[in-house]
Amino acid sequence: MAQASRGFIFLLFLFFSFNPAAVSAEVQDDSGEEPVIDVMGKVQDHNYLTVAGFDIPLPRIIFVEGSLVPKVYSSTSAAVSSGDFNELPGYVLESSTENAIVLDMSVTSHLVYFWFAILLTVWISIAMAKKYKKGAGRETEPKGWFQNLFELTFLFIRDDIAKTNIPEKKYRKFVPYLFAVFVSITFMNLFGLLPWGVTATADITVTAILAAFTFILTQWNGSKDHWEHVFWFPNVPPLMRVILTPIEILGLFTKPLALAIRLFANMLSGKIMIICILGLIFIFSEFFGAAFGIGTSFLVVPLTVALYVLKAFVGILQAYIFTLLSAVFIGMAAEEHDHIEGIEAHA
Amino acid sequence: MGLLAAGIGAGIAAIGAGIGIGMIGKSAVESIARQPEASGDIRGAMILTAALIEGVALIAAIVCILLVFFS
Repeated sequence: MAQASRGFIFLLFLFFSFNPAAVSAEVQDDSGEEPVIDVMGKVQDHNYLTVAGFDIPLPRIIFVEGSLVPKVYSSTSAAVSSGDFNELPGYVLESSTENAIVLDMSVTSHLVYFWFAILLTVWISIAMAKKYKKGAGRETEPKGWFQNLFELTFLFIRDDIAKTNIPEKKYRKFVPYLFAVFVSITFMNLFGLLPWGVTATADITVTAILAAFTFILTQWNGSKDHWEHVFWFPNVPPLMRVILTPIEILGLFTKPLALAIRLFANMLSGKIMIICILGLIFIFSEFFGAAFGIGTSFLVVPLTVALYVLKAFVGILQAYIFTLLSAVFIGMAAEEHDHIEGIEAHA
Repeated sequence: MGLLAAGIGAGIAAIGAGIGIGMIGKSAVESIARQPEASGDIRGAMILTAALIEGVALIAAIVCILLVFFS
């Protein structure tokens, strides 16, 4: 503990002993000079998949102006060699004809990891259900880590998340959705920790789609009372409804928005933090020489290992929170208030 | 200027979220100490509330990130 705190103080000292001229030079870097480490480039979505150091190009699907049929190419270079597009730095395409690009529906690395997580979830669900069916009626417990781990997860989702938050009569229908969301988000979060892995959930579009599913499910299963509470709040003075109705309508949309941003920001900040701390090695070796960079790495690498453990925990925790909040929102909308008449009778 | 705004904004958001989550943790620990048998329910409610606060703080953090990288 004492050693860790000493290391931290040393790092802090390094920060403050920074040459101000060097810092200001770094700040003014965006005027053309290449930065030492490109943080956002590591986090952003790409049109290639990096496996073991090699870039595998992904297909490009592009809608251009004046045509409803997309142009499909097997890779970015194929799109360029077809003559319709010019390549800008960073795999960005620009139309070379007079028809501008309307919509870029290309398969990207985040999408590939998203599909991968969903396929794994489907496979796990089917394999688990098959094995469960085969063992139905047996008295002994299931064998093997796979069955035990995922049956435990399923029971946890059903009993601790669905049953406690969604009304008794309706909860069964939402358990598959909640289980699928939990498992696939956990996989997507943890894939980002693998070497060359990409965190698909560190992309606002992925989390927004997941939150949109929750939003649609919530509204689709909203009870009469849910809509009454939105548009015509019961038992309040009529003038209050002028204030309450807009707030409630706004509330419908802020809930999934917060859901999407929470997951996205957690994953993004974890990724940025790891890249920044590892990037200290390169920044120090750039400013003070390679030997200093090696010295820094002895401090930074253990710190990154600790952060990795934290990130693995946060990945599972955020999947749990997403699932829990989805269940809470669905439960709030699906609930039927039997007690309202009772309150009116008392008033 | 954008960098300065982002730094100050992230700091203020962290202060607010820190106070909020600290208060949640304080009351959760107090109530678990009073009623250890209800610790499971209290922990669930604590995580839920902390997540709600964290969401607001992270929205602020995202605004700061946007200021740094896209302004």
